[in-house]
Amino acid sequence: MSPATQAPLFVREMGLTTRFGLYLLVCLILMAVDSRYSAMSVVRTGINAVVHPAQQVLVWPFEFLADAGGFFTVHNDLVRERDRLLQERGQLRARLQEYQALKSENDRLHTLAGLPPAPGLHRVQAEIIRADQDPFTRKVIVNRGSLHGVVAGRPVIDELGLIGQVTQVFPASSEVTLLTDHNQSAPVQAKRNGMRILVSGMGSDSLLEVRYLDLHADLKPGDILLTSGLDGIYPAGIPVARVLQIELPRHNPFARAICQPLGGVGQHRHVVILMPEKRA
Amino acid sequence: MNGIGKSMVNGSKPLIPQGEELARPPTRLMVLISIVAAFMLTLLPWPKAALWLVPDLGLLVLVYWNIHAPRLAALGAAFALGLAMDATHGLLLGLHALSYCVVTFLVLMLRRRLAFFTLKGQAAHLAPLFPLQEALVLLLGLAYGHSQVDWRYLAAGIVTAALWVPACLVLDRLTGRPARLDKVTGG
Repeated sequence: MSPATQAPLFVREMGLTTRFGLYLLVCLILMAVDSRYSAMSVVRTGINAVVHPAQQVLVWPFEFLADAGGFFTVHNDLVRERDRLLQERGQLRARLQEYQALKSENDRLHTLAGLPPAPGLHRVQAEIIRADQDPFTRKVIVNRGSLHGVVAGRPVIDELGLIGQVTQVFPASSEVTLLTDHNQSAPVQAKRNGMRILVSGMGSDSLLEVRYLDLHADLKPGDILLTSGLDGIYPAGIPVARVLQIELPRHNPFARAICQPLGGVGQHRHVVILMPEKRA
Repeated sequence: MNGIGKSMVNGSKPLIPQGEELARPPTRLMVLISIVAAFMLTLLPWPKAALWLVPDLGLLVLVYWNIHAPRLAALGAAFALGLAMDATHGLLLGLHALSYCVVTFLVLMLRRRLAFFTLKGQAAHLAPLFPLQEALVLLLGLAYGHSQVDWRYLAAGIVTAALWVPACLVLDRLTGRPARLDKVTGG
């Protein structure tokens, strides 16, 4: 029997209650420090750097199984899918030409008006690797981090629209807080009339809200909301949400609009992080 | 089955260790590996819609060792596991550490009493602790400035509590403890 498992003959240590009290105190101080100062982010990044590779190893067999399922796809399906993708690519190419024409025209108008050209964007393709068990915030972890040039604060989109913002960056992964999080909001503009409002998460997985809406604001169900680009974080024109219904004020002087996010918030596996283009 | 009862004379403790004490004593390595393995299991890619139901297996194993090897896994282990939990889930550091310390403290207080009960009786004693731990985490989060809490996560505590009996049997088997006596073991 090793000495560690044997109770000592004479007790020469702090009582259980005292030790418990000390641990409680340490925890409380730790939480206070962590919530007030960012000093703990080093510790966090360190622990994450250890856990992340272990997690990748754990996930690997599951991904392998999913891939193995893909191996047995029928040849016919592949051909059909390829045709569809080729068609889609053709359409997108045509749209892209239109976009480039518009962009050059826009740049010309910018120079005519004496404004600096709108900054370009550099897109970092990322994949959602897991959702975290967190009862307080809605977030996902993507597989791109500071090694790939990701910086906290950048917007994240998928093929349909805005889904959130990078909130924490680790070496090989980063944490994206979803638009549906209660504390997350984005400045938007109604597509129909250009009205500028702020859309926020309401703690539901599938709904957003406009919290303080003027009673007489011209916003109707079905309106599309695009980012306005006013905050300098989200570039203008990304689709965000569609208005579902307007709730008239009951207990406060403001109306409220319930919206449905257009991007598959956290549903799609592939997302794009928008980074500012580096100038030479 | 009645080995303990027979060897007891007038309820006094037998001179030679019996039953549980005779089993292979848990080693530090065994405790460490089982806790880390259970913790890793909770990190598997669980379906996103059911994340609030994922039981806290690390805590389950920790409580098991709190009962069976309190000199190897007590408050320090609870604190360390809690910190690892907080860091991997991106929560406030100390949130889980504090709640695990509370659970461990309560289990250590209950430990002597638990020895008099069968597995089911023990489960009944321990069941409230797991939802309590979840509630503590949620309330502390609220207190430390989170504006909203997903109360569904309380369900994870209930699932964990329901898993106590199977987890005990599995851990008994894995660590080579003798099968439990199903009848009340005197006292």
